[in-house]
Amino acid sequence: MSGFEIINPGILTLIQDKGRFSYAHIGVTSSGCMDEYAYFWANKLLGNAKDCNVLEIAFPSFSVKASSDISISITGADLSLSINGKYSKPWSTYNIKKGDILKFCKSLKGVRAYLAVKGGFLLEKDFDSYSTTIKEGLGAIKGRALIKSDFLPYTPYKHNHKKVLKDKYIPSYDETLVLRVLLSYQKDEFEEKEKEKFFSSEFSVSPESNRMGMKLNGEKITPKISGIISEGIAFGSIQIPSSGQPIILLKDRQTIGGYAKIGSVLAIDCFKLSQAKNNTKIRFEEIDIKSAQEKMKNFYLDFDN
Amino acid sequence: MEIKLASVDSVIVYFDNKISLDVSFRVKQYLEEIKKLEGIIDIVPSYTSILITYDIFIYSYENLVSILEKIKVNNVSSNDNKIVEIPVYYGEEVGLDLKRISEEKNLSIKEIIDIHSSGSYRVYAIGFAPGFAYMGEVDKRININRLENPRKTIPKNSLAIANEQTAIYPQSSPGGWNIIGKTTIEMFDKSLANLCPVNVGDEVKFYSISKEEFLKQGGVL
Repeated sequence: MSGFEIINPGILTLIQDKGRFSYAHIGVTSSGCMDEYAYFWANKLLGNAKDCNVLEIAFPSFSVKASSDISISITGADLSLSINGKYSKPWSTYNIKKGDILKFCKSLKGVRAYLAVKGGFLLEKDFDSYSTTIKEGLGAIKGRALIKSDFLPYTPYKHNHKKVLKDKYIPSYDETLVLRVLLSYQKDEFEEKEKEKFFSSEFSVSPESNRMGMKLNGEKITPKISGIISEGIAFGSIQIPSSGQPIILLKDRQTIGGYAKIGSVLAIDCFKLSQAKNNTKIRFEEIDIKSAQEKMKNFYLDFDN
Repeated sequence: MEIKLASVDSVIVYFDNKISLDVSFRVKQYLEEIKKLEGIIDIVPSYTSILITYDIFIYSYENLVSILEKIKVNNVSSNDNKIVEIPVYYGEEVGLDLKRISEEKNLSIKEIIDIHSSGSYRVYAIGFAPGFAYMGEVDKRININRLENPRKTIPKNSLAIANEQTAIYPQSSPGGWNIIGKTTIEMFDKSLANLCPVNVGDEVKFYSISKEEFLKQGGVL
């Protein structure tokens, strides 16, 4: 069988796609690629279907050996990919030959790298999606991160036309990030001065962040209420727990929760946030629903071909 | 009923600001109506609200709100609820908090079991973890607070109570609810088409089984 033999599984290498939908009513989270911008580009560069599965690689040292020729694309974080020892930039496709060794050596820019193969990996969906959610045990590879004994099968493919993305489409992963926020949910349970504080202060990404959510450190924001009756949590919701430190809930969030939410971050900006290293500076600015939906639609339309 | 913005592609419908059976009936009825709409990606019903994620290529926010506002539900309780019966072994070796509850509430362990297993519970919400169903209401005589120090691990399939609520832990996880027994039913079962044996709005009854029966059904002590 053709595919990648795992030399080093890395610390958190996951099979992902756009996510798992229509099971939220029984507590199953949406899961899926944390950075959809990089995910869609990975497939588009290869001419893959939009919803092909990919690998989301969150830490260096992930390394594989190709057992047959294959075209791949690399997008997202620059984890210093070397192909047979030669540094290979992300946001580009590569034609891999039988026996080539890929290794993600160290974290240079961003957090999560995406690796797609022409045609996607030949795996089975688990409840309509390949996406891996470790805490639920759901996903194409037994609902867990890759381990040494795994094998990632693909259909061999030769001579893809080499594509390199234009610089203007490549995110810079700056040290400061402005996130656009839709005031929503319990916004009226925050006094004006708390809202002002929220929009005027600078926060920073806490090391305690993960696929469930990004924790921020900064000014304490206090709602008028201590908690709410548990309710559904949308992607990007900004939850304010009793510590007053905002948590932005992302792909592996729990489906319901009882903390007040001041609003939600525009999904496109959540994708950028997913590439923010610890201590990245975060600011918030308000956006209205009409322009927010316009921007989201344009984002998705750009990847329709 | 109040409809609020939740995120760029979701809205939340609130039916009331307090938990009651009546509100839960309305949530359930409304839920059935939403399921008929096209372009709905995910629905999260809870105690007093429903979060609806939708396809923004089909509805604008205003568009969806005007459709949702027209959906009417009556206040009459529907009696076509599914009743789900769940076997429980209420033994002390699995009901880790039975003895303490018995001391605190001045009830014998048998009385606690009788009270809990004679009740009928409504599934108000499912969340926290896949298959974790929040059910209520627990009889006042055994209404007990969460543990001050949550346990690091609660065994899978443990039946628990906290104040007016009762639930089964679908997977081993940390938790602060009081453990009174264990079931043999999987609350999150990948071999089932619907993954979870209960849905929001269902009625759940627990019945006591012996240790022998529990073990025979594959229960793990």
